[in-house]
Amino acid sequence: MDVIEAVGLGKRYGRKKWGLRDCTLSVPAGCVTGLVGPNAAGKTTLLSLAVGMIRPTVGTILVAGETAGSRAARDLTAFVAQDAPLYQNLPVLDMLRVARNMNLRWDHDRAISRLDGLGIPLKQRVGALSGGQKAQLALTIALARRPQLLVLDEPLAALDPLARADFTQSVREAVAEDQISAVFSTHVVAELEQVADYLIVLGHGEVLLSGTTAELTSARGGESPEKVILSALRENSRSHAQEVVR
Amino acid sequence: MTAAAIPGRRGRAAARPVPWTRLAWVTWRQHRAALAGAGALLAVIAAYLAYIGREIHRAYDSFNACLQASPHALPPLGGRLAGTPACGALERAFMSFYGTGRGSVGASGINAQTVPFLLLAVPVLVGAFVGGPVLARELESGTFRFAWTQGAGRVRLTAARLVPLAVVVTAAAYGLSALFSWYIDPFVQSGFTGKFPMQLFGTMGTDFAAWTLFSFALAAFAGVLLRRTVTAMAASLVVLTVADVATLMSLRQHYMAPVAVTGAEPAGTGNWVVGNWFTTTSGGPVNQNAVFDAFAQFSPGTYASKTVAYLAGHHYLQWWSYQPASRWWEFQLIESGWLLAASLLLITATVLLIRRRPA
Repeated sequence: MDVIEAVGLGKRYGRKKWGLRDCTLSVPAGCVTGLVGPNAAGKTTLLSLAVGMIRPTVGTILVAGETAGSRAARDLTAFVAQDAPLYQNLPVLDMLRVARNMNLRWDHDRAISRLDGLGIPLKQRVGALSGGQKAQLALTIALARRPQLLVLDEPLAALDPLARADFTQSVREAVAEDQISAVFSTHVVAELEQVADYLIVLGHGEVLLSGTTAELTSARGGESPEKVILSALRENSRSHAQEVVR
Repeated sequence: MTAAAIPGRRGRAAARPVPWTRLAWVTWRQHRAALAGAGALLAVIAAYLAYIGREIHRAYDSFNACLQASPHALPPLGGRLAGTPACGALERAFMSFYGTGRGSVGASGINAQTVPFLLLAVPVLVGAFVGGPVLARELESGTFRFAWTQGAGRVRLTAARLVPLAVVVTAAAYGLSALFSWYIDPFVQSGFTGKFPMQLFGTMGTDFAAWTLFSFALAAFAGVLLRRTVTAMAASLVVLTVADVATLMSLRQHYMAPVAVTGAEPAGTGNWVVGNWFTTTSGGPVNQNAVFDAFAQFSPGTYASKTVAYLAGHHYLQWWSYQPASRWWEFQLIESGWLLAASLLLITATVLLIRRRPA
């Protein structure tokens, strides 16, 4: 069973520029999937399509069997955008209340106890939290929605190494506990196998590689996923450059 | 990887929309500071109008009582107050609220004459300060990525922001203009002023509320278009001022075909004179400059009362076109009607823009 199914998916910005092109992929349910690729590879475009922020130019994308962006899909998908945008001027508790009132599914007790465990004070203004706390609050809100799919756009980019490790662990724990699926994008390929069970490599708006970390490794005779990804990206970048020249 | 991670479609509760009341709470929580600010401004103005309004009504009642009690008192003449010396002091006391005469109330310049002009700024400010940030702040700060991906969905969420805020600011503006109408009423009743002058037309009836609504809708729309709070507020201030001035200068007088009369100016009973021209006594065309030349030799001392006769002596006829005072409510409803329609269009366009916005 796949939590995201994309067929012939494409998104064009303006007249000519394709953010994502002819993308057919499946994201397996029940695991943490890393969406890897350089900047402007189409990661954010793919995730935005999955959460319904934008609509495809061509093709289809289903989330847990529902058309992405539909009300049913929205109810099942929780999204943490890059830099975890939240209402800075609200106290943490009111931020939770705002989120609760924007959703039908909401587990308030869980959100409160999670923040308690993290030592994030409910009376603190969101704007006064540290980067790591803010990311954790955004994750808490996303998880309180009891989603089937958790989508995280560059969740680690703004975090220091310690916060990064904590955040990664939180996501892995939540996925295991709730038996949900998570997809996150990143342009950092180091130590990916510790975070993701499944990897999708994007380059220039196209899927270059996809598979479990074990599959990717064994296909290339035991090379680390990092090396496999880098060589795929290098090859793609070279052929793309030739295409442009031609 | 387990199939259990996704319950089958049949197992899911049918997706219901998030109730409006819950989204309205979100709107309240996020905009209560802006509403409190606007509310405080309106409350200060309302307190002033209520306090001074009571004084005005008292002064007017005393003056009227005096007029009725004195056998030699003259009724108000020609729409202007003309009390006997006996009631003169009371008349002066009443008129002092209008900023005329010595020892006027509001010597600072704030009186019944200037208050409506100041009030004209309220729809502009309230609309821009409440409507400008409502969506622009979300787009500017990036929180729209949070808000639009919640279960409620962006269209419902946007509607739940715009509609309650629009209703609240419009209702508050209507309340304030009703209070102002009561405050200014003695001056209208005494025939001292008509209700067609722009500062009164715009602050009474339904016009004030309609402009506030339009201002709010315009600022919210500008916010989505420009995606910057301050820019949106500034743009809506400029566009609204232009629309306001254009309405006053050239649009409003054309809502209905004016009535044309000859002879003396049909002013003084609340009519709105919108034009005048000259013909020959038989109705033929004349060179308007020739009439002005004739006027140049006209003795100013006799100007007011003998104009018609003087012109007739020169075989000229003066024509006036005017909107009768009785049309005031029709004009109010026409202007409020198009403002309401334009506001609904702007709000709809705003929601559609949000729906289509690639983000």
